[in-house]
Amino acid sequence: MGPTSRETWAQRLGTFRASPSAFMAGPEGEDLGRHLLSDLRSEKLSEPTKVSLLALSLEYPAQLWPDAPAAEVAATSLLDTLVLLPPRPSALRRPLLLAATTALAAGGALGPTSRASRRLLPLLLGLASGRDLGRSFGPASEQRPLQATAWECLRELESCKPGLLGGCLGLLRGLLGQEAAVQPLSLLLALALRNALVIQARARAGLQGLLVAGGCPTEGGPWNWMLAEEGDAHLQPQAPSWPAAEEGECCLAMLELSPEEARELRAAVAQLLDISYLLTPVAQAQLLWLLGWALRGLRGQPPVLFKPQLVRLLGTAQLTLLHAVLALKAAFGEALFTAQDEALLLRRLTLAAQHPALPLPAHLFYLHCLLNFPENWPLGPAGEEAAPLLLGFQLCRGLLPSLLHDPMALLARLHLLCLLCVEDEEKEEKGQDQSPRQYLEELLAGLRQRAALDGGPRALATLCFQASYLVARCLAGQPVVLTPLTHGLAQLYRARPALAPHFVDLLDRVGPELGEPLKVVLRQEVVSRPGRDEALRWHLQMLARVADGDAQSATLGFLQAAAARCTDCGLQQALLQVCRALLRAGVGGGLADLLQALARQLEDPDGRDHARLYYILLAHLEEPKLGVALGPSLAAPALASSLVAENQGFAAALMVQEAPAPIRLSMGPHRAKGPVPVLQLQVEVLEQVYSLELRFRVERQLYAPLGAVHVPCLCPGRPTRPLLLPLQPRRPAPARLAVRALYTTPSGLTCHAHLPPLLVNFADLFLPFPQPPEGAKLGFFEELWDSCLPKGTESRLWCPLGPHGLEALVSRHLEPFVVVAQPPTSYLIAIRLPPDSRLLLRLEAAQADGVPVALRTDDWAVLPLVGDYLRGLSAAG
Amino acid sequence: MAQRAVWLISHEPGSPLCGTVRFSRRYPTVEKRATVFNGASYVPVPEDGPFLKALLFELRLLRDDKDFSESRDSCSHINKTSIYALPIGGEELWPVVAFMKNGMIYACVPLVEQTLSPRPPLISISGISQGFELLFGVQGFLYSGQKNDSELNTKLSQLPDLLLQACPFGTLLDANLQNSLDSINFASVTHPQKQPTWKAGTYKGKPQVSISITEKVKSMQYDKQDIADTWQVIGVVTCKCDLEGSMPNVTISLSLPTNGSPLQDILVHPCVTSLDSAILTSSSIDAADDSAFSGPYKFPLTPPLESFNLCYYTSQVPVPPILGFYQVKEEEVQLKITVNLKLHESVKNSFEFCEARIPFYNRGPVTHVEYKVSFGQLEVFREKSLLIWNIGQKFPKSMEISLSGTVTFGAKSHEKQPFDQICIGGTAYLKLHFRILDYTLTGCYADQHSVQVFASGKPKISTYRKLISSDYYIWNSKAPAPVTYGSLLLVRCHN
Repeated sequence: MGPTSRETWAQRLGTFRASPSAFMAGPEGEDLGRHLLSDLRSEKLSEPTKVSLLALSLEYPAQLWPDAPAAEVAATSLLDTLVLLPPRPSALRRPLLLAATTALAAGGALGPTSRASRRLLPLLLGLASGRDLGRSFGPASEQRPLQATAWECLRELESCKPGLLGGCLGLLRGLLGQEAAVQPLSLLLALALRNALVIQARARAGLQGLLVAGGCPTEGGPWNWMLAEEGDAHLQPQAPSWPAAEEGECCLAMLELSPEEARELRAAVAQLLDISYLLTPVAQAQLLWLLGWALRGLRGQPPVLFKPQLVRLLGTAQLTLLHAVLALKAAFGEALFTAQDEALLLRRLTLAAQHPALPLPAHLFYLHCLLNFPENWPLGPAGEEAAPLLLGFQLCRGLLPSLLHDPMALLARLHLLCLLCVEDEEKEEKGQDQSPRQYLEELLAGLRQRAALDGGPRALATLCFQASYLVARCLAGQPVVLTPLTHGLAQLYRARPALAPHFVDLLDRVGPELGEPLKVVLRQEVVSRPGRDEALRWHLQMLARVADGDAQSATLGFLQAAAARCTDCGLQQALLQVCRALLRAGVGGGLADLLQALARQLEDPDGRDHARLYYILLAHLEEPKLGVALGPSLAAPALASSLVAENQGFAAALMVQEAPAPIRLSMGPHRAKGPVPVLQLQVEVLEQVYSLELRFRVERQLYAPLGAVHVPCLCPGRPTRPLLLPLQPRRPAPARLAVRALYTTPSGLTCHAHLPPLLVNFADLFLPFPQPPEGAKLGFFEELWDSCLPKGTESRLWCPLGPHGLEALVSRHLEPFVVVAQPPTSYLIAIRLPPDSRLLLRLEAAQADGVPVALRTDDWAVLPLVGDYLRGLSAAG
Repeated sequence: MAQRAVWLISHEPGSPLCGTVRFSRRYPTVEKRATVFNGASYVPVPEDGPFLKALLFELRLLRDDKDFSESRDSCSHINKTSIYALPIGGEELWPVVAFMKNGMIYACVPLVEQTLSPRPPLISISGISQGFELLFGVQGFLYSGQKNDSELNTKLSQLPDLLLQACPFGTLLDANLQNSLDSINFASVTHPQKQPTWKAGTYKGKPQVSISITEKVKSMQYDKQDIADTWQVIGVVTCKCDLEGSMPNVTISLSLPTNGSPLQDILVHPCVTSLDSAILTSSSIDAADDSAFSGPYKFPLTPPLESFNLCYYTSQVPVPPILGFYQVKEEEVQLKITVNLKLHESVKNSFEFCEARIPFYNRGPVTHVEYKVSFGQLEVFREKSLLIWNIGQKFPKSMEISLSGTVTFGAKSHEKQPFDQICIGGTAYLKLHFRILDYTLTGCYADQHSVQVFASGKPKISTYRKLISSDYYIWNSKAPAPVTYGSLLLVRCHN
């Protein structure tokens, strides 16, 4: 097949870009990669067309060459094309280098066994270091851009395979002194240096002269893959997120540098920093992130090297530079930033968050940085947004929200205002400035006024409810804020009942502090002001959410009056929804009358049937069963369901029958693994059931509510798999689970049964800690042991032993949690108690009839449980 | 720190999809790293079609916001930054950096070098600020000097090449795309050693330095007892240094006259090599006092080739240049309006232009206007419900002018007349637009002697100044008006 024409390619590329997956699934998909490679060498296609083909291969190598062998073939072909280019200027050399690099790195083909890798790497290094590669590499005018490209290719390969250039560190340093391509070289050196440090630390080796060695593979010579092979298992974050970096840091701390190595390293870093102003601002920022985190964990590398750069960086408006300074702040804290420096940084950040010369997205990001500022001495819990201690109210005045702000800015600033109100409350009223709380109230009132605007965009309403939600969440404990908010919202509803869906959503999401009073005032609002048709629809929707056992007569009165005006089907359905809500809330007497009346008077037969059904349910079921019968997951009458389905004897099918338990549940063996405790429940089937739903309720709410377990079908005599029930304890304590079963019988009836409660023992919650590497176990345990105090407590117990001794007891009950074992006398045991407690046991110097146990925990409340548990062990055998 | 993909999307409210992907670029080697770093929480970068749809929905740019949609309108769905989570195919793509400017949506997905569950705080992700710089850079390139659609299209067509230069593998090398364009053109020139990367080549020709100071003044005036008027000056100093040599050193100083207003909140260009700590700490956050640093403000720098913004500043001048009041009284279908404006005597009374725009929102079209002006002319735009009072080049000798009149409105029809979410009920404003050449409100200036150049040849130095209005509002004093915390606070302090 001959080469494809320019037009065909243009069209093909267009179709491909519109949807790569659709194109690849089509007839042309399979051969696209091959055609592209062969047409790159066609003499009939123009350079611009070939550049567009290469552009495609830069973006979609995974589609064109989906596996490593294909990527290897592609890279080889691209390199061949590059070599065969005539020695005149060409726009193809740069993209060919980039494409070959991309194909190898993205295709997973890069490695010592790949021939293409062995060709590409020396070629890149040769080009980059300005070695003469002969006339085939184009005219002199192309050398500089090719050189810069080669550096970038090497950096990308080093990013994808850390350690690849570890052997060239000395060469890179040497070139940095003389090369004109300062930026790509600096960045590559910083990256390779960082990767080498991490890899060597992991291997517990020093730098081994890597920084000074001048040796580097010459063309044709073998490439040094040693470091890359060692680093292979771990892709290195170049600028790790802070919490992740802290984990990696203990590994860097293990790197032992000789004094000469430490000096060389410092010299290299200082050299990089000194010329950093020659780099573009974004590249400077990359350099700072890389070097900052490279030095952070290292012993004996003082961060003062960075100090001379800071003032210059703090003065700029560049987002990346200020962000990099914050990263340095997070990395080094007080070692680099004194309290005064911290205050200055905060002021610059506060200023940047409102500077009129900067764009809104930058303002918002700076505001985020303020609320997540890496303080030297943070007070609040980690990971939560808070105003830094040094950021007083005075400093924040310009950051307070106003109605003129864009919605995102308003919400971000509102959050800050709420945080300040919390502090304000803590500090009591000082009465100097206008109180932030008063300002907050005025702002919320303004938002509500805008939301009330008839015909206004929904975004305005959404904003008002988002603000209300934010305030309710941040200031849940402040009735002085919530009370006016509640009344304001009630007024808003009065002005614009069409916002009912927003109110329902708000009620679903806020806590009881706002939710409960808001429910009451909204119900009053609805029942005291029956509106016309349009409003009635919203009123009914609202009432379905807020109606409960309170104010029954007013609610029923409203519904009775409304019933006469519910002429269309939708309104009738809405009315029945309210009845259903009342039914679930256990409203009796008056509701029965209303339902009877509805069953007679509604125009819509579907509605009449539903009213009758509800009446039957109300008359025949006790309150708890009613709740179950109308629960959301049951096959209860969905109001939208069609008449046809319901007419097939619906009443019988929908009545829920109380029945004896069709199954027996028992606890299976304890699974001590995974992030949360999981109960294994064994099922013994007594009767055949379908669509079994088991619902669990935790008594005393010791754990988070449990999800229901569904089993499609169970037959007696057929083996069943254990059911897995994950627990989310709120406290590490044993609990009782009440169990109910809902199921369908083979005859199609829906039944409901109570099962005997299940007991979750203290030991069922035990989880092991992740296993530390061999050799670090004792240290790991000791670290945990030390961390328990002073918050927790320590105790000693005598654990009696049965006839089989300590070894048997441990292997039977505590095996998964043993960190260090010296059988038969001594065991160090670490147990994770969800949600976030720990229990550590030292069983040492066992005697014939018992073993003294030293224990520590960070949660004193578990002590009696531990005592009971240990004493019970020997009895359990 | 790298980007997994970049998009440019034009927002087209009338079209079926409400937008078109004008440009997109994926970075497969970064994507490969994302699969490793993100592990089980990895969500692939989607194709353009699904991305466009999800992003427009999230940004509320689809047309169907008639009904409440929980995934978009829920009160707990709060975005406080321009960084989004896009639901795509049952998963959430996060973090997506995106913002809209001039009808164009700029978006990218930075690489997060760890698991995404739980999500790390944005501040700890280096790719976020890089993503912003990339998008700002693209935006700056597209809109620098661009006048019309065909110029925009030309620039869009240059983007693939430029990004190949400025961001070949997803790691941004230079946010200044113009610089990348220049370096393509300069490629054949052999560079001397140690050329800064942000300088694509060297200048050859007559040495000259041009410095222009532009001040914008904004104001909120209420004419009320309990709310203080506010005003602020925002300055930008733009320079172009045509000097020979690879790294010429220049020091530019800004000076103030003795009664000038100190410059605050100074942000400088990265080419400034060092900063006096007095410049760094002079800030509007502090309560004003007499000890504020009043210059001269010295900026030693190595200039780039192109024109650049040397610094931005703000300043609090003692009085607003034009003080006014605006009163609106509603009388059935008529509004009775009174406007009074007074130019402060210290301000140069020589405008390039000066006009007051008086819009009426949330009402029908203007059907009839009766008015009296003491100075200038009034133009009426009936359909737009807008009056423009053209004041001209000079205030009269009294420095004070007034307008009074009655405006009658027709019936309101929703589509045609302008809607405004602020101007509800009696809330209304007029906005002043003016420009004064060769003048700054702070008094800030740069003269020939304030520029030191350490390079061969004595350069020609030219300086320019101008003052323009920006967001200069005068609110109807007879109705509530939106206020900032500062307005309330100042009154307390003054009382």
